[in-house]
Amino acid sequence: MRWVARILVVLALISVAAVVYLANRFGTDRPVTYADIAEHFKYGSLGGERESGFPYWIWQALPGLCADKLPGEGYRSLGLLYEADKDLPVGVSKRRVLGLDRVFLNCSVCHTSTVRETPESEPRLLLGMPANLFDVMSFQNFFFACAQDSKFTPKRVIAEVERAGGELDLIDRYIVYPLAVFLMQDRIRMLDARFSFAGREAPWGPGRVDTFNFAKAIFNFPMDQIPEHELKGPSDFPSIWLQRPRKDAHMQLHWDGNNVKVEERNLSAAFGAGTTPPTIDHAALDRIEDWLLDLAPPAYPFPVDEAKARRGAQIYAEYCSGCHGATGRDFGGDRVGKVTAIEQIGTDRGRLDSYTYELAANQAQLYTGYEEHRFKHFRKTFGYANMPLDGVWLRAPYLHNGSVPTLRDLLEPASQRPKAFYRGYDVYDQKRVGFVSDVPSEGRRMHFLFDTAVPGNSNRGHEGRPYGTALPAADKDALVEHMKTF
Amino acid sequence: MAAITAKRSWKRKLIGAIVLLAVLAAAGAIFTWYKFFREEPQPDWITSDPEMRFRYGSIGAERDAGIPYWIFVVLPRLFPEKLPGPGGYASLGAPWEQGQELPVGFSKKVVGFARVANNCAACHTATYRKSLNENPTFVNAGNGHTLNLVAFFRFLVDCAKDPRFDADNIMREISLVYDLGFVDSMIYRFVLIPITKKRLLEREQQFAWIYREDFPDWGRGRDDAMNLTKYFMIELPMDDSFGPTDIPAIWNLKKYDGEGTTMNWAGDSHDSYSVIIDSALGLLGAPPKRNSEFLEEVKWLQDYLRAKEPPPYPFPIDQALAAAGKPVFEANCASCHASERTGKRMPLAAVKTDAERIGTWNADNAIAANKVVSSFGIERKGLVEAPLDGYNPPFLDGIWLRAPYLHNGSVPTLRDLLQPPEQRPKVFWRGYDLHDPANVGFVVQGPEAQRIGTRHDTRDRAGSSEGHAFGTALSAGQKNALIEYLKTL
Repeated sequence: MRWVARILVVLALISVAAVVYLANRFGTDRPVTYADIAEHFKYGSLGGERESGFPYWIWQALPGLCADKLPGEGYRSLGLLYEADKDLPVGVSKRRVLGLDRVFLNCSVCHTSTVRETPESEPRLLLGMPANLFDVMSFQNFFFACAQDSKFTPKRVIAEVERAGGELDLIDRYIVYPLAVFLMQDRIRMLDARFSFAGREAPWGPGRVDTFNFAKAIFNFPMDQIPEHELKGPSDFPSIWLQRPRKDAHMQLHWDGNNVKVEERNLSAAFGAGTTPPTIDHAALDRIEDWLLDLAPPAYPFPVDEAKARRGAQIYAEYCSGCHGATGRDFGGDRVGKVTAIEQIGTDRGRLDSYTYELAANQAQLYTGYEEHRFKHFRKTFGYANMPLDGVWLRAPYLHNGSVPTLRDLLEPASQRPKAFYRGYDVYDQKRVGFVSDVPSEGRRMHFLFDTAVPGNSNRGHEGRPYGTALPAADKDALVEHMKTF
Repeated sequence: MAAITAKRSWKRKLIGAIVLLAVLAAAGAIFTWYKFFREEPQPDWITSDPEMRFRYGSIGAERDAGIPYWIFVVLPRLFPEKLPGPGGYASLGAPWEQGQELPVGFSKKVVGFARVANNCAACHTATYRKSLNENPTFVNAGNGHTLNLVAFFRFLVDCAKDPRFDADNIMREISLVYDLGFVDSMIYRFVLIPITKKRLLEREQQFAWIYREDFPDWGRGRDDAMNLTKYFMIELPMDDSFGPTDIPAIWNLKKYDGEGTTMNWAGDSHDSYSVIIDSALGLLGAPPKRNSEFLEEVKWLQDYLRAKEPPPYPFPIDQALAAAGKPVFEANCASCHASERTGKRMPLAAVKTDAERIGTWNADNAIAANKVVSSFGIERKGLVEAPLDGYNPPFLDGIWLRAPYLHNGSVPTLRDLLQPPEQRPKVFWRGYDLHDPANVGFVVQGPEAQRIGTRHDTRDRAGSSEGHAFGTALSAGQKNALIEYLKTL
């Protein structure tokens, strides 16, 4: 009998060890963390991987598997930015959950970009600026197309993973990854259906997103029934510096000023990073939220003609400061952070109309059950909010829909602004203040031809005498010189 | 000695087992009570403010008619194709304040678990906008002219009938919204979801008439109220009657205090107390748990609604023109709408408006419904146990907001009502809340009215705009003056 007991003991020990191993392997939920806040912003997890994350090795394998569905080489061709020695681009975070490393997006994917002085210069990565190069629509289309392609099978995905350098053990190879492939297909099919509205819209191009039609998708509104006039909403990614003065002054945030609560606006944006109310990592987001309160934009790195700028300051004070703040740091002014009626500002109304009363009402159900976080401040508005201009030199192209390439162009009447120009280039135009917009491509990378005739892309509005478009050319030059200092 | 010890120890074991069982039973009872029956009061911001209490306060309907909160939240996301359009519950025209987690008229209360039911405000809150560039104004006790009630009824039944209404799908959608935790997930999965499905499906038979293809849609702002009472309260088999009417404004109920006045379109009910009781019982879907508590709420509602003033006209009024309209009103309208005859039934032959509503109800129905309410131990004057052969000329307080006009909402504006019946619009869209100050009513034509509103065709059954030809022969000037005066009421 003793040998029976011994066998039982051994079996029990093996079972315990197996349970401990599996619990450890599949039960952990651990993000890659960064003590440095800038690194956390670039690569830290907001919890989006829990619900939406792609298995790390599938992420790495897809550009190889579906190279035919990319405009160029790898994720770079979609405008994602890689720092030297990093395996993931800026804005992609990693977390070990459900037994595998999963990756998804964070804030910086839409709020970080690069600037070069000349095509030969080394790009400078600037945190908090609009992601001018990132083409969200192409990015999501790539995943939808690849995951629904006949090539997307466990066998081929795993072969590609191995080619990409992934060393999968037996459990991963035969259980976890095949299952992940199926789950990902299922997930992407659901997202593809909910995001189908994008297929009805003209290409957004890099640096733009149709934020509030995505918000409708959260509620699974029947997007095929959304009226045409709501589907012209793509707008520029904003810069996200200096949130404290905005918060303290209860400024109306978002292009149409539909929310005055910084925290709510941030949680709303975090849906774009794949988070859901039960899975968001509040502590991780809070770190970023706190940091952004006082993060200032980088100073203009090129020469400024001080005398000219001083002259421009007077013009700025007269024409601009009431709506846009006294300076790039002092946001004082009667109308700063408040909505100007659409009839008055006269800019393209597509983005305004993309946001509806019905959506605002529904948004009050977001974070329900978590009352301190529940959304209570979304409101339908009827115009666009007057933005403070901190770091405005990095916020080109201008107007909410990015329809005017440079500040100098914005000071011309709409009829004389460029009718079409290229977006998605990071070489700086010091003369006109903005990015170089007349270069169609660089190497194999094609820039995006932005056509202001496309509905939603109009460059009209923000014009007439009060907006400075009737000033003499020398005054306009001076004004632009001054705004470099913001 | 040994035997005695053994016996004692056996006895001790027995007692121990009994105690253990009792503790387990008590724990089970407490768990069951806590998870399914304990009642938590609604938050203070609802109960302490009469306006909020009317909009979101519980009238006790959650116990039997309540839908588990998380199911309610995810249904529009799971079944958007069963709603009239994008917007979740907002697509049903339910008035919904920005920042509120539920539309007006939807009450949330914890009875074991959070449940959502309705109160009077669901139907009796009006919204209007003065211009396209403003958000709606909410008027408590107003006519719920935007609410697509029939679409709401169908939505719930259609969801329950769909095979996708199961625990896997619903729990998956809830998991995107909230982490229920293990115990509540189990309760939802194995108890609440199946029971909710069953309860909703039980209504299908009683709702058969809203699926009839030979009946037109009620459209926004209308309710086939007497048929609802017949099929739900007195559980009669379906007949062929059909008579949706406008959901009325219920402010200023003290105007019905006069001797002999009756309420509802055809004078179906004796007094406001009875009407509130009967309507509230309809929302409860079951006898009240405690009559005293129920009647206390009814009394509160009655007091609130008796005192509630209609909203003043939101645009400037041309006072001189209105003054000129007063004698026109007195000569042409007052004898029915501001006199002894107001609020008292007038024979159909006198007003000649659409008769279908009258065919939906009779004296026997009234007797049966009164018996049901008496059987609950509730005393009230109740429904009028007599044949109803006409309509009550209504009081005209706040008439500017009570469009569309006539009992069946077949005439879009006051100006249209002053046209001879054959010249009134044949087709229009109702349920859009932009006010039309030129004609007094809501905007009923144009792309937005058509997108948001529901189509009303006066040639459809129960939709006729015939009758009430009074004042149609006035001069254009007199009509303008009269309309201006009506804004002041």
